[in-house]
Amino acid sequence: MIVLETSNLTKKFGGLTAVNDVSMTLNQGDVMGLIGPNGAGKTTFINAISGLNPPTSGSVKMFGDDTTRLTPEKMCRLGLSRTFQIPSPFPKMTAIETVMTATIFGNESGKVKDPVDHSREMLDFVEFPMAETVVAEQLNTVQLKRLDLARALASNPRLLFMDELASGLSEGELNDIMRIINKISKKGISILMIEHIMQLIMAVCNRLLCIQFGTKIAEGLTQEVANDPKVTKAYLG
Amino acid sequence: MSNNIVSKFLNWMKSAAGFSITATIVIAVLASIASGPYLLVNTIVTGGMLALVATGLTLMLGVLNIAMFAHGEFFMIGSLTAYYVFTPISNYIGENPESFIAVIGPLIAMAGAAIVGAISGIVAEKLVFGPLRKRSTDNWVMNSFLLTVGLSMLLINLHQLIFGADFKGIVGYWTGMPVSIADVFISRDRAMAFVIAVIVVSLFWFFMTYTRTGMAIRAVSQDITGAQIVGIDIEKIVLLTISLACALSAVAGGSLLFMYPSYPTVGLEPLYLAWFVVILSGLGNILGAVAGAFMVALLKVITVEYIGAGWDFVVPSALIMLILIFKPSGIFGSDVRGALDK
Repeated sequence: MIVLETSNLTKKFGGLTAVNDVSMTLNQGDVMGLIGPNGAGKTTFINAISGLNPPTSGSVKMFGDDTTRLTPEKMCRLGLSRTFQIPSPFPKMTAIETVMTATIFGNESGKVKDPVDHSREMLDFVEFPMAETVVAEQLNTVQLKRLDLARALASNPRLLFMDELASGLSEGELNDIMRIINKISKKGISILMIEHIMQLIMAVCNRLLCIQFGTKIAEGLTQEVANDPKVTKAYLG
Repeated sequence: MSNNIVSKFLNWMKSAAGFSITATIVIAVLASIASGPYLLVNTIVTGGMLALVATGLTLMLGVLNIAMFAHGEFFMIGSLTAYYVFTPISNYIGENPESFIAVIGPLIAMAGAAIVGAISGIVAEKLVFGPLRKRSTDNWVMNSFLLTVGLSMLLINLHQLIFGADFKGIVGYWTGMPVSIADVFISRDRAMAFVIAVIVVSLFWFFMTYTRTGMAIRAVSQDITGAQIVGIDIEKIVLLTISLACALSAVAGGSLLFMYPSYPTVGLEPLYLAWFVVILSGLGNILGAVAGAFMVALLKVITVEYIGAGWDFVVPSALIMLILIFKPSGIFGSDVRGALDK
């Protein structure tokens, strides 16, 4: 089953074309890596799909419905969640409150019986290293990214975007995050993740999409794309 | 354990918030001993009403990032509504002084003020702020500020055009003997105005802290992108926030009708005082705004008492200039914008 499909997606900022005519498909159960050099338009591409920065032209189909230009909150209810490269927490809320916002507003009302319990489960699921009562503004980036992930999972998504979840992690933390991504995937959530760390990509992704200067240069199975001369050239120049 | 609490308290005392709250209480008590307890009573009554207007202002700033200069006009709308609702009620009470309407009539007028205030807030959002939000992407603070000034002009002149420039006031809401506390006689209207302010502000705080919608408003005020992606409908929250903020201001106008009769520019004084409060306490902090309201009220009362009646705007403004120089984020302010800081 196709979870996400973009056709000829283009995003322009004035005269600059940040995403140019990208078409791709993501199947149910995929863990797809979105790779490309810095400034290639990866985050812009994800923002265009998720409604934060609607595309200039082209269309997006999610779970079989046309979702081009839907607002982010509608997409959240459809089953799309995301994390940010720079986490976007509620600075004055505690960890559990932050996750509860997604539990309460991201699910159909009445679907989650006990929001506090559900939120606690999510924090446990991402192995949140701090107490649930800690206020978000006191967390460091690594902890914030975990919190961001817990919040993204709390709305019970079917499709998850992760934007450089692993950047800046130590070796040990990288193994933890690898295990968590595998756990998420096992829950039946399809994943599209922007990542630079090849070690992580090779370990968890089954397919890759490579973008350079806003244009798609490769899409396919991980091994094939990683060995594609065009991709190697984009990375090594 | 008790040591811990004492040291925590001492630390809090050293912070700007703790110091200024303690100083306010001490000054209030000293002034009351020196000149009589009516100072304290005046401070509390003025502060209560100011808290209502300032809370609405804070909400607009914290959630929507609008520097609202039309907030006084919603105060005016509230007092105007209360006047037109209460006048027939008052006539009826004159004929039937024993009926229960004499007790709840004023409350009906204030509820009417709140409802009309909320509706006019919704109209303002639909006609003015909503369209601006769709069109203006950069320089939102400046654009929205200019818009509110324009809205203020428009509403003042509409009042003058439709209802005339004369004073539309009432003699009083509740008849009967004044309440006496510690040898100070407070008219029933003043006492009730304070009680209403306390109830409304507490309800509002409860709403913001413990309800789902309150949580959504806080989330939007702290990070709008984060709020969007967890499924919060921003448009709905914005509409609700504006109507709530305007209703708070209108309730203040309605319940103070006995002191401030309704006329076109009645809202300017509460607006300026509320801005003093907001700047003093830090932008976008509701609990800070409540504390700040009592500080500004005390400042005003003390200035009138010891310096002279004409100076009650000069001293607060001078103080605010000093605060902006030495602590630009305000006494309770933090670097992060949030409608309900903990």
